[in-house]
Amino acid sequence: MAVTHDVPPRLDDLVATAHRIREAIESVIEGKSDVVRLTLTVLLAEGHLLIEDVPGVGKTMLAKALARSIDCPVRRVQFTPDLLPSDITGVSAYNQQTREFEFKPGPVFANIVVGDEINRASPKTQSALLECMEEHQVTVDGVTYQLDAPFMVIATQNPIEMEGTYPLPEAQRDRFTARIAMGYPEPAAELEMLDVHGSASPIDKLEPVATTAEVKALIEAVRAIYVSQSIKRYAIDLVTATRHSPDLRLGASPRSTLQLVRAARAHAALAGRDYVIPDDLQALSLPVLAHRLLPSVEAQGQRRLPEQVITDLVRRVPVPEAQAR
Amino acid sequence: MRLPIAAGVATGAVALTLYPLFQAGAWFWASLGAILVVTSVGMLATRYTLPNWLAPLAQLFAFWIYLTAVFTGDEAWARVVPTKESLVGLLRLVAAGFADIQRFAVPVPDNAGIVLLTCGGVGLIAIMVDFCSARLRRSALAGLPLLSLFVVPASFLGDPLSWPTVVIGALGFLGLLVADGQERVSHWGRAVLVRRTPSFIAPRPAADTGTLRLSGKRVGVTAVALAILLPSLLPTLEPDPLFGFGVGDGNGRGGNSISIPNPIVNLRGELSLPGNSTVLTYTTSDNLPRYLRLYSLDNFDGEQWTMPETKGRPDDLISDAPLPPPPGQGQSVPTSQVSLEVTVSEEVRNMNFLPLPYPASRVRIEGDWRPDRDTLMVFSTRDTAEGLTYQVVSNEPRPTAENLKTAGAIPQAIQQRYLTLPDNLPREILDKAGEVTEAGATPYEKAVKLQEFFTTTGGFSYTLATQGHDGPALSDFVLRSRAGYCEQFAAAMAVLARAVDIPSRVAIGYTGGTSVSGRWNVRTHDSHAWPELYFEGAGWLRFEPTPSGPAGQGTATRPPYTFPEVTTGGDDEPTAQPSAGPTGSDTPTGAANNRRNPLLDQEFGGTPITVDEGMPTAAKIGIGAVVVVLLLLVPAMLRWEQRARRRRVYSRPAVVVGSAGEGPGGGPGVVAVRSNRGEAGVAAAWAELDDALCDYGMSRQPSESPRALARRLSEQYEFSPEAAASMAKLAEAVERMLFARTPGETGSLREDVRRVRRALAATVSRGRRIRAVLLPPSTLLRARALGTRMLDGFDRLENIRIGRPARRNA
Repeated sequence: MAVTHDVPPRLDDLVATAHRIREAIESVIEGKSDVVRLTLTVLLAEGHLLIEDVPGVGKTMLAKALARSIDCPVRRVQFTPDLLPSDITGVSAYNQQTREFEFKPGPVFANIVVGDEINRASPKTQSALLECMEEHQVTVDGVTYQLDAPFMVIATQNPIEMEGTYPLPEAQRDRFTARIAMGYPEPAAELEMLDVHGSASPIDKLEPVATTAEVKALIEAVRAIYVSQSIKRYAIDLVTATRHSPDLRLGASPRSTLQLVRAARAHAALAGRDYVIPDDLQALSLPVLAHRLLPSVEAQGQRRLPEQVITDLVRRVPVPEAQAR
Repeated sequence: MRLPIAAGVATGAVALTLYPLFQAGAWFWASLGAILVVTSVGMLATRYTLPNWLAPLAQLFAFWIYLTAVFTGDEAWARVVPTKESLVGLLRLVAAGFADIQRFAVPVPDNAGIVLLTCGGVGLIAIMVDFCSARLRRSALAGLPLLSLFVVPASFLGDPLSWPTVVIGALGFLGLLVADGQERVSHWGRAVLVRRTPSFIAPRPAADTGTLRLSGKRVGVTAVALAILLPSLLPTLEPDPLFGFGVGDGNGRGGNSISIPNPIVNLRGELSLPGNSTVLTYTTSDNLPRYLRLYSLDNFDGEQWTMPETKGRPDDLISDAPLPPPPGQGQSVPTSQVSLEVTVSEEVRNMNFLPLPYPASRVRIEGDWRPDRDTLMVFSTRDTAEGLTYQVVSNEPRPTAENLKTAGAIPQAIQQRYLTLPDNLPREILDKAGEVTEAGATPYEKAVKLQEFFTTTGGFSYTLATQGHDGPALSDFVLRSRAGYCEQFAAAMAVLARAVDIPSRVAIGYTGGTSVSGRWNVRTHDSHAWPELYFEGAGWLRFEPTPSGPAGQGTATRPPYTFPEVTTGGDDEPTAQPSAGPTGSDTPTGAANNRRNPLLDQEFGGTPITVDEGMPTAAKIGIGAVVVVLLLLVPAMLRWEQRARRRRVYSRPAVVVGSAGEGPGGGPGVVAVRSNRGEAGVAAAWAELDDALCDYGMSRQPSESPRALARRLSEQYEFSPEAAASMAKLAEAVERMLFARTPGETGSLREDVRRVRRALAATVSRGRRIRAVLLPPSTLLRARALGTRMLDGFDRLENIRIGRPARRNA
């Protein structure tokens, strides 16, 4: 069988660029290389990231650092209960001089949009953002405006705060490629943070290490990463297992399968591989799938979190095997 | 309700095995009716929950009415209600039945008496089975009455029961057990409800007995299959391997009188039996072997040789008197007296003719044994010879060639009886007889020529594969195929002898056997047939046309007088037999000519007979142990072979055809062809690694990717850097093979596999390593997987349902 040998363009360059971005971000966020790596993975997979953690662990810092290290427009939206959808998408305003309505683009017209505390906004506003995330376009007054590529939303939400918040419903959580928790830093990392952040914020000193064009090229390269049929089947097996698990009330959607494979491509590319292996899927199944699942009543009673269920499933679903005797 | 039916079906199934005991089927319908009556009453008893003790009584009563109606309806009131006369009639019939059973050999005719007895027996057993299973709820116990029914044909028939009847009987019993189990299990899982559950909420779930039923069926079917298969694999368990007297002559005759065996039919069966058991042992006063004759067949009907009507007179009891004088033996021919002590094996069944040397003059034996005056066969209608020891004195004629050449005229009676040939005997046979004996002047010389024809000049060969002994088969044997066994040789020579006017008959018995530490040991394979020819003065003399030795009938020997030149020339010629000549008994066994043991040298041509001394126990144990060890080593050998095969595959460097390689050098659009050889090598190496892990008892999760496995092994077992690198290389190779666009070049993986194997082996104990080589778990697991697949197939068969609606457990 002859297949077209489509060597991804500049895999080595990709790895190098990605490495630069990672180093840049890690100079700001100490001791969180996994989180940084996942953030990059989501970026390269053209997805969106939901960071969920308690306040003050550097959620916004991570988003800002990523945005800063890529030389691209970054907008930050602080979500509040009184935020309106037009505050996100933009608004048509009447220009008295030209006597015409003029579109004033909202903060969503950027390559990276940081939505801080997204669960504080009203559902209406939330869904306005989520529409942009899914369609990569904004429609105001019947006119559709395309968003630039790359377009990535990094939303943060605070799980502890309950009052005056509107937690994202399942359907909207499903739009995010991955959800991560920052977690508290290690004592050593925290100490270093005190040293570094004591005088001035290092993010101010952060210089862009990659251009938008470079990131676009990276994304193109990731799209060319090879996914074998057996890997696709394995991804489907994993996702199907969540749908059949008695511990889960809601399994993962077909969209999640798509995003899982996309993220796995990026994960493989970051590792310098031009093909996806089961390990990529296994590593990503937790951040990509967990936030989409709802535990069953029994699992809730036993305090089994979806994360545990996924870990069990990954341990159970067999990987594609070599057929040899 | 289910149990009484199952009990009836089981009884009916087992009763089917009685079929070969009868000539006709009347008994079957009568018995079937009896079973139906008993079963119907049993069903009623279950339906109306009669007390357990009452049901069999009711069944007995109904059964009695049934018997009355069927057998003595004329004497009963309204053909049904038993009267005194009808009861007397039944008893009379029973008595007649008993008498008939004593009188007839199987297959018996179905007289009213016999049918009544059978029907009565089957009916009583049906009642007992019903009582055990449906009343006492001990279905396994019901096997006992069934077994007693089953034993009847098994013990009366000489032939093994045909396996379909056994299967039918066993399935009937299994059906009973299954019905009992279902009855029992269907009561499971029914809670005693305090509150009534409304029936519309949900149907009450029946206890899930699927797996239980499945395993039950598995056990049952396996047991039946083993019961059928095992005896066929172990020849010694075949019922009655020695004698098939009684029935089995296959021609349906001889049923209504005292059964007369057809010895010819038994012969080939015994010769071709896989087991070679000892029939009897004997010692002789001169320590030389003797042929032992059981029967003499003198009537040739054109198809086969049959036995004459034996006549044993009450005053001829051999315990009281010597045997009658041998016919035709006169003073002119010297005789020598030999005595034998014969012990018949305990395992022999139904031996009611004594194996004796011919001519026996005196037999000392317990029991009612009588000789037949003409043939000197000794038989009994009451006793059998198994386990008996008896002494025989025999006055053997030791004729010289001269004696025989000058033998006198044959008496008229002998001529009439022993020269008869059927009119339809093919002309070619008579011509052949004349042609063969052309050179012989006297009857004796003609007889010698005939024997030579069969043994040397005729080009005959010995084979047990021949079938039949009828007319066409005879001419085919003599004129064309010239291949057969003792039966054909003996029959053919006897026919040819009659054709040239020598009185002849066929003797059936045993050759002299082999000597085991001083005793002559006669086994089933020594069964033999030979012709006896009559010479006035010498009487009946044995001839031996059958080839002997390994390529023939092993222990057959030719009598000395059938070599005229030898007996006339002297008694210690090199080819002389030790028993040769009139002075054969004083053959100088320690003579200066260093001959082999004369006992081993009896055969024509001097090929020594291998004496089967029986293997010493130690050797048997040794051989058994070796066989067991070899069997145990089978997995190891399979594993070794597989490893070698895989090694060959992965040792070849993979050739990646047309691969443009990875990285900067390769541009898009370059066509790569996947290398099948390279893939096979990687797959083989990986499979080998997988099996090595299994052999060393290291687990591997199915969800563990190659890379994860490599990492875990290297960390867990603290691989050396080289081993870890090899492991990683293997993992990457298999990863590329499975998931990458091009598998890439791997080179030979031989060294890597070896290194990883070593590293793994170093982490386990020595015992584990030895076990990995001798009893590799990977091969055993594969065998188990195969077994599981077979069981799965069985389950699929099991789950085929033939349009039966689901049973509701309401």
